[in-house]
Amino acid sequence: MELLKASDLVKRFGNTNAVKGINFHIEEGRCVSLLGPNGAGKTTTLKMLSGLLEPTSGSIDFKGEKAKDLRQFIGYLPQYPAFYNWMSGKEFLVFAGQLAKLNRKETEKRSDELLERVGLTNAKKRKIGGYSGGMKQRLGLAQALIHRPKLLILDEPVSALDPLGRREVLDMMREIKEETTILFSTHVLHDAEEISDDILIMHAGEIAISGSLGSVMEEKRQPILQIEFESQAVDWLKSIASYSFVSEVNIQGNKASIILKDMVNGKQTLLKDIVDRKLPIRKFEISQTTLEDLFMEVVKA
Amino acid sequence: MTQWTVLYRKEIKEMVRNYKILWIPIVFILLGVIKPVSSYYMPEILDTFGGLPEGTILEMPTPTGAEVLMMVLSNYGMLGVLILVLSAMGVVSAERQSGVAGMVMIKPVPYSSYILSKWAGLITITLISLFIGYVASWYYTSLLIETVAFEHVFQSLVIYSIWLVFVVTLTLFFSTIMKGNGSVAFVTIFVVFAISTVTSILGKYMKWSPATMTEHTGQVLLSGELDSSFLLAFITTIAIIIVVLISSIQIFKQKELLE
Repeated sequence: MELLKASDLVKRFGNTNAVKGINFHIEEGRCVSLLGPNGAGKTTTLKMLSGLLEPTSGSIDFKGEKAKDLRQFIGYLPQYPAFYNWMSGKEFLVFAGQLAKLNRKETEKRSDELLERVGLTNAKKRKIGGYSGGMKQRLGLAQALIHRPKLLILDEPVSALDPLGRREVLDMMREIKEETTILFSTHVLHDAEEISDDILIMHAGEIAISGSLGSVMEEKRQPILQIEFESQAVDWLKSIASYSFVSEVNIQGNKASIILKDMVNGKQTLLKDIVDRKLPIRKFEISQTTLEDLFMEVVKA
Repeated sequence: MTQWTVLYRKEIKEMVRNYKILWIPIVFILLGVIKPVSSYYMPEILDTFGGLPEGTILEMPTPTGAEVLMMVLSNYGMLGVLILVLSAMGVVSAERQSGVAGMVMIKPVPYSSYILSKWAGLITITLISLFIGYVASWYYTSLLIETVAFEHVFQSLVIYSIWLVFVVTLTLFFSTIMKGNGSVAFVTIFVVFAISTVTSILGKYMKWSPATMTEHTGQVLLSGELDSSFLLAFITTIAIIIVVLISSIQIFKQKELLE
């Protein structure tokens, strides 16, 4: 079922269009990742969906109805969550729960439950001022979930964390995804590939690609040849671009990735070339384009 | 419990945790007590530290109780206002800067509840401080100089608190529209000072000005009578407070939170 639909959403700041009329929808129960380079308009989009920012034009429908104040249904974790540092973790959760119109008793119970879940039970009486970055992120996740939102929006939930903290938050998201719909933005493509069902790629205020992760990958998948040389072979790599079966050559130092239109024919010709010219190679690998390649393609275009 | 109550309780709790609820009333008590005490002991103080030549006879008229209380209020008008503005300057701006205002507003909280809970918190600390300080001052005045009728004191307290409520409302307004705490304090103090100055220079044309509250306070203390222009000033002051509050809420709605 369709949970949320954005139609022709535009946000203008002064003369710049941060978001240029985007259309998309989010299915209930899915985990959707919003990808895009810095400045693509991801945060602005998320803020409009969460009700923190008024769109310049366009509309947001929630469960098929024009929504007035979406905040009741949405849990939001900003990129840099901030708290009252003089409060304890538990106090803040109770405060957030009451602001979301839960009653006192329910809030107490729900807070303890969530603190347990995000692994802050031992720290719940400590002042938030003394929490580490990872602990604040987890507390932020707990406050977003306090009122059992229909849609959980996370803005770069793992970007600022160390590998361990990242792992923890991702595991938590995997659990949460069983209960509620998640929309999260990230520029760590690996994370998106790992846990999301659907992807939206934004670039320069527009949605470039959207769909389920599987179908997008299937549709855009291209065979790719990766060659690693012992020394640079730029001259040869430049010359192969003239072959008809080569569609793109990317050179990064001693490595090159070559997108081919015809793998069977292409790999043989290239391999023969390499042998003929006695080019020193370390690796010759055939693979498929990844989400990262897709992302780069979109962003460069 | 409404969201307003939750927010208001948070304001009070915060003032308790950072001891504002303690030190601001203490400053007001000190400001209130120092005047009657120093007036009473002035001859002795001059005797001890004055270094006046032998045989100088000094006729120091001891001020009346009402005069002492007026001086106390004029102290509150300078230092008291400064302390209140400085302690309230970050009320919204600091929360916007840290991003925690955004964390509150992503919950379904009406914008008016946020601003009005802040306002109520400021009013609470202002009135508590003024009340305790002024009562302490009255107590010392009656102990050392003379007793001033309680009705007069009470009336002057009420009228003077309208002026302080006005000042604090302005602080809240500037804290909503500006970001830097320092500039909030500077602009507020400047505006309050400008209103007072213009009112005292152009007294004839400024009978409606909120700053006339301080004059009405003196009047009540000295004679127990209210000037006829009080009603006009009272109405405009309340009207300005309401307009300023409404605009604060509207402006807060437009501000981008969580940058």
